[in-house]
Amino acid sequence: MIVEDLWKADKNNVLMDEIQSVYVSAENIQQRVIELGQAISRDYVGKNPVLVGALKGVLCFMADLIRAITIPIEVDLIAISSYSQEARQKGLVRMVKDLDLPITGRHVLFVEDVIDTGLTLNYLINSLRARQPASIEVCVLFDKNQHRLIDLPIRYKGFELPDYFVVGYGLDYHERFRNLPFVGILKPEVLFNRRQSG
Amino acid sequence: MDEAPKKVQPVFIHPIEEAFARILNFYGVEWQYEPRTFPLEWDENGNVIEAFKPDFYLPQQDLYVELTTLRPKLVRHKNRKLRRIKELYPEVNVKLFKRRELRNMMLRFGMIEEAERIFGTAAQEKD
Repeated sequence: MIVEDLWKADKNNVLMDEIQSVYVSAENIQQRVIELGQAISRDYVGKNPVLVGALKGVLCFMADLIRAITIPIEVDLIAISSYSQEARQKGLVRMVKDLDLPITGRHVLFVEDVIDTGLTLNYLINSLRARQPASIEVCVLFDKNQHRLIDLPIRYKGFELPDYFVVGYGLDYHERFRNLPFVGILKPEVLFNRRQSG
Repeated sequence: MDEAPKKVQPVFIHPIEEAFARILNFYGVEWQYEPRTFPLEWDENGNVIEAFKPDFYLPQQDLYVELTTLRPKLVRHKNRKLRRIKELYPEVNVKLFKRRELRNMMLRFGMIEEAERIFGTAAQEKD
């Protein structure tokens, strides 16, 4: 049994009740992640890259990707304030968890779960570039380019997503659904009901 | 010590524009509000009879952004203007954000109230 079947077989699963349909299956995600890992392994031979991910959406992708990479790598995580009510009052995005590893002179591969407007990625890449790595490239699993405001070169891309509100495999809606093993389209009524129920 | 001059906040026509500007500010992206009008049609005397003024210009991206909360059926006129801009000013980059795209953007940024206020309920959207 694969993990997606486990979810579908659970008839009392409240999260599945809020999913309209599966858009990218767990199997397809796993296959694509393996392909990305193989490409990265080929391109970075002898470079000992640092893979950097931004919490929290990247957790599932990062965990699977690093196990599909067959060369020596190092991993680090970064976190910035989201556009929450509190952060909005403070006015500007800020880093809430910095890297632990120095990246000056290192080959950095920034790993991202989804790129939408490009605003977050642009901020993070600029912040990392200021530390003068030897190179910096982007690997993204899901690209939603309909909303793109800031174009950034993407070296490794998993899937292009249409303009649906999707969740799962790290993508959340109000911190829920990250643990779905697939990417699903949320039922429209869930989008606005969360405020009343949660 | 002289203080840096504060940016004068423009008077936004629609609340979605103000919300969009706040998001850009949060991520430190430079923007201008309605800085340029593009003439689209002229009469026989050369007078401009139709023009288009995109809502935002992002100078670092050299990108104009137009936001619309009109229902899909009513966006036709705006789409026609954008096609005309591309014909007359092929060097100009304009991106149109439609109702559903804006709603999803607001929701992604956790702005449920803004999304609700501007777009109404999901049931209304099915009209």
